[in-house]
Amino acid sequence: MTSIAHEQLQERLRLLQERFFERARGEIETLSGFAYLIEQQQLPKSELDRCYQLLHRMAGSAGTFGLPELGLAARAIEKQMKAHLESSGDIAAAPDGLIAVSADLAHELRKLATWLAKAPEARATSVATARATAGSYKGAQGMHVHVMALAHDPEYLSGLVKSLAAFGFIGDTGSLDQSDVIAMRLRERTNAAVLLSLDSELQDVLSFREQYIPESEHRRFPVVCIGDDNSFDIMYRVAEQGAAAYFWEPLDMPELAERIETLALERSSSPQGRVLIVDDDAELGEHYCLVLAQAGIISRLVSDPSELMSELSAFEPDLVLMDVQLRDYSGVTLARLIRYEPRWLGLPIVYLSSEDDPQNQLDALSKGADEFLVKPVTDDYLVRSVRIRCYRARQLSDLMNRDSLTGLLKHSLIKQEVDRELARCRRAGHYSCVAMLDMDHFKRVNDTWGHGQGDIVIRTLANLLRNRLRESDVIGRYGGEEFLVILPDCEPTVAVKLLEAIGKSFAELVFWVGDDSFQVTLSAGVALINDFPVSDQAIEAADQALYQRKRGGRNGVTFYDLARGETET
Amino acid sequence: MASVTEVILKKVLYVEDDPDIRAIAELALQDVGGLNAALCSSGQQALEVAPEFRPDLILLDVMMPGMDGPETMRRLRAMEATRLIPVIFMTARIQSAEIDEYLALGAIGVIPKPFDPMMLADDIRRLVKESTKGPRD
Repeated sequence: MTSIAHEQLQERLRLLQERFFERARGEIETLSGFAYLIEQQQLPKSELDRCYQLLHRMAGSAGTFGLPELGLAARAIEKQMKAHLESSGDIAAAPDGLIAVSADLAHELRKLATWLAKAPEARATSVATARATAGSYKGAQGMHVHVMALAHDPEYLSGLVKSLAAFGFIGDTGSLDQSDVIAMRLRERTNAAVLLSLDSELQDVLSFREQYIPESEHRRFPVVCIGDDNSFDIMYRVAEQGAAAYFWEPLDMPELAERIETLALERSSSPQGRVLIVDDDAELGEHYCLVLAQAGIISRLVSDPSELMSELSAFEPDLVLMDVQLRDYSGVTLARLIRYEPRWLGLPIVYLSSEDDPQNQLDALSKGADEFLVKPVTDDYLVRSVRIRCYRARQLSDLMNRDSLTGLLKHSLIKQEVDRELARCRRAGHYSCVAMLDMDHFKRVNDTWGHGQGDIVIRTLANLLRNRLRESDVIGRYGGEEFLVILPDCEPTVAVKLLEAIGKSFAELVFWVGDDSFQVTLSAGVALINDFPVSDQAIEAADQALYQRKRGGRNGVTFYDLARGETET
Repeated sequence: MASVTEVILKKVLYVEDDPDIRAIAELALQDVGGLNAALCSSGQQALEVAPEFRPDLILLDVMMPGMDGPETMRRLRAMEATRLIPVIFMTARIQSAEIDEYLALGAIGVIPKPFDPMMLADDIRRLVKESTKGPRD
């Protein structure tokens, strides 16, 4: 097949997939209706039959459209339901035609929605890059965090910038005496850039930002202040001046790197959000949508509250902005209704209201809302409060999917990603690699320097990987000090070179404990995903290559060469 | 997979009531598999289309409203023009007893649903090839 034909095929597959997602959403809603009937013990036999048919259909089709988990879950319920159907054959003569079904099944039915909730992610991957940026928040990976040290004599900070570069940041220095030049360079940045300043020059750096960068953009350029004293008075003054973070000599480099990473993440424009606006004043609602759209936040307006629940399922927002007084409905009641769905228990709801009596506000808050925005709300305030809440909401959902120490994907999820990549390789015909990374003699680090230091080392490697890998790459924490990396569309030779370079950077990092210091090296095994029929074997091969590397002296990268059935350095 | 080419498989008729599955099956058979595919939405329609289209193989979904897969197969067998066309069932059933039942009806194979659109054509080619080699062990 030619590549153009192939692309067209992919596109058509994608459209079919999208259509199926929509349909599955509707079907799951119907199934939730059945769940309700089951809970109320009001399920007629005819309806049980319909429910069964629906599940059977879903079990047989979801996998074809890239939702295998949904299919499997539906099949599990289908099986139980079938048993019910068969046993109910005998009691079909029951006067009211109602049959009792275990409440567990109702619970299982409702849980189906969670598989679909994963659909946007499935979509983001199978649909390749289209949604990758707008979709789930993925850390600063592929974003290349910029750090710019500003001083009158930039030489002074160049050593620090260099050390930060070792952590994978793009470092740069600028002279405060050439404000025009720095301002120009900063304006080229589309994402966040962290500014470093010495305590003694903090005021100058902040004045520079004030003067050359529009206020609405300040957030993107947080200032990290470096001083040599951690007294309360100094820290208070620095905070008052407006620095986003303060570090003092001797600098804890991993900690500093970590903070820069977090700041850049939080302030970058990329983790947008999805906001559902409920307002029966369509004109005002449209205005909010427009304002948020300009800030890169995707929003959708619901002006008819009766469509609220279906819109929620279809749009899957990070946040709901709710007008308190709608014509025929109360926003407070709607908020309570939203909480009826277990799926939306954690969804932040912010009221838009002209209610300025704090007593009434408090009343509403106690009934399920998270905050009040008092109308009229300025555009800037709207954007800022929505943005920070979307960010928080995503942080929360990441908590569930990501390893708490490193922010990387958890073991179970990274394996799924390898499955997906394998399927993609088959479809698209490109080469992709999977790599297993492991730190050398990590136990010694823990034993000698304590687990706290060990954690710092692990986090540092995680950040380095995020900074050095592309956005399309997937990184997961596989075990204690083991990481699994998926490199889509990447030839083995390139993968090996890339990991060697990362290994080299990592080995150069110096970890300080008081006056003592230590360094850590890493080993990696690489396998070509295309070489294997199932993903587990690819991971196993990478693991074997890693093992070979460990036996062959560590600190390097080994490729699993299928042709030789052996590994090769 | 070079040896597969000796099996003559050019035209395939797929009978399936679910429009979304039909759409993706069309892609799987035509675009991915390079086959000439015709799609029918019911057993009834298949009985009308098959004698005209003269497929080399018919894929039948088992569970369809009205005339189900096995019934459609019986009727196809009763018509002169379609009597000898091999049939494969597509099913989301899991019990092996049921699968044996379909094979006993005379189907040359059963493909479990959900199917992988990238693999469907290969799977049916394999089943056709196995069936021409004689009974399976």
